[in-house]
Amino acid sequence: MIEVVDLWKAFGDNHVLRGITLTIPKGTTYVVLGGSGSGKTVLMKHVIGLLKPDRGSVHVGGLEISTLEGKALTDARQMFGMVFQGAALFDSMTVHDNVAFPLTEKRWRDRLPADEVRARVIEKLRVVDLGEEILGKFPSELSGGMRKRVALARAIVSDPQVVLYDEPTTGLDPITTDYVDEMIVSAKRALGVTSMVISHDIASAFKVADRLAVLYDGHLAAEGTPDEVRASKHPYVQHFLSLWFQKQ
Amino acid sequence: MRQLSELLEDFGRMLLFAAEAAAWAVRPPFRMHLVLAQMAFIGVGSAFIVGVTGTFAGMVFALQMNYAMKQFAAQGYVGGSVAFSLARELAPVFTALMVTGRAGSAIATELGTMRVTEQIDAMESMAVNPIQYLVVPRILASLLMFPVLTMVFNALGYAGGFVMGVYVARIPIGPYIEHTKEFLAVDDILHGLLKAVIFGLIVSVITTWRGYAASGGARGVGEGTTRGVVTSSIAILLADYVITFIAVGT
Repeated sequence: MIEVVDLWKAFGDNHVLRGITLTIPKGTTYVVLGGSGSGKTVLMKHVIGLLKPDRGSVHVGGLEISTLEGKALTDARQMFGMVFQGAALFDSMTVHDNVAFPLTEKRWRDRLPADEVRARVIEKLRVVDLGEEILGKFPSELSGGMRKRVALARAIVSDPQVVLYDEPTTGLDPITTDYVDEMIVSAKRALGVTSMVISHDIASAFKVADRLAVLYDGHLAAEGTPDEVRASKHPYVQHFLSLWFQKQ
Repeated sequence: MRQLSELLEDFGRMLLFAAEAAAWAVRPPFRMHLVLAQMAFIGVGSAFIVGVTGTFAGMVFALQMNYAMKQFAAQGYVGGSVAFSLARELAPVFTALMVTGRAGSAIATELGTMRVTEQIDAMESMAVNPIQYLVVPRILASLLMFPVLTMVFNALGYAGGFVMGVYVARIPIGPYIEHTKEFLAVDDILHGLLKAVIFGLIVSVITTWRGYAASGGARGVGEGTTRGVVTSSIAILLADYVITFIAVGT
């Protein structure tokens, strides 16, 4: 479903990605772990075409995203839903308008009637355990956890094939973190989507991942199933994971 | 040298950004409701401050002209002078500067905040082009509303000057109006409106660009807004000189 081949990216003298290659099969949840500033978000932004690589390519659903421009890229993005680190809900819109945005901004011929849009918004809010009483609220009136859930409802409202999660549990309390993890797993089960999660939250990563990768110094230091990554001999991976596993 | 090259690079990127906005402006979908909302914000929302500025500018200019013309016993020309100066110079320039302060700063701040909180990235990830959705309506609304606001400035400025000239300086109403008709041609008003359209383009492109290109959190948004307002103000004055020079020569 997603194939990243020899991806290189630098910002000035800062070489963030140095030849990343990975494959995410359809219907799996793939977690990219790494410390702050390791280039996880940069990698994800390449997958959705928000950044262009210096070298290498990104293929999603048979399309080479890294070479698409303009309308072709805009059309290709219909495949994606993305949950941003800070939720990135539109401040000036209500919850309804935020969740409905991908539907109301479709081309005229693809647009749904208003009552159908509302029904779809309510349905997706239910998936993330939110009721229709928040439809008229603005993002500033919601808690951090609720904003994340609304962001996920917005990401899945147009039934995307791929959902990207950028640090979905950062800044959340343990109960909400657990809730968001469940939400990622249940969204995959209910919708059968391919998910890519980038995170530095090791507990969450091992809970939701079918496959894992650890990003370090622009390379994938380890890659495989959670058990394979846990058994990795790479010094950074051992150090990174031990910080959490020692606590258990 | 490095600063100059960065400045030129930034200017070039802004021109490409403006070209991209122009290309997206003629592509469907056309979101008229967003243009109308921006017309309300930029136009209706700025009408009060532009009206107040226009009224006082007209009043003060009439008093100053009365003081000057009195030396030559030519006070009858005050109305014409006020109308002429307002139409060609004061109305478009003052209006553009006032709208830059009020709406231009808000545009740069809003887009800058959307950029640093990833709302623009989110929009792009949902297959909506942010230039078409956020930038094009603001540019179109500015192109339409700057001339309207300039006419508001003209009308209220002339009214303010009329009150000062006729009721305070006691200039006879007949010569006041006659000399206005004599001095002021339709071309003078059109000259001012052309400036207003150009200023609208300059202000909207610069302030949307400064917001769109903002980075680095709250500080970056603040810097972007300040640069947007300062650059727009200087660009208005520079463009005013160039247009005037081309139109009237030396």
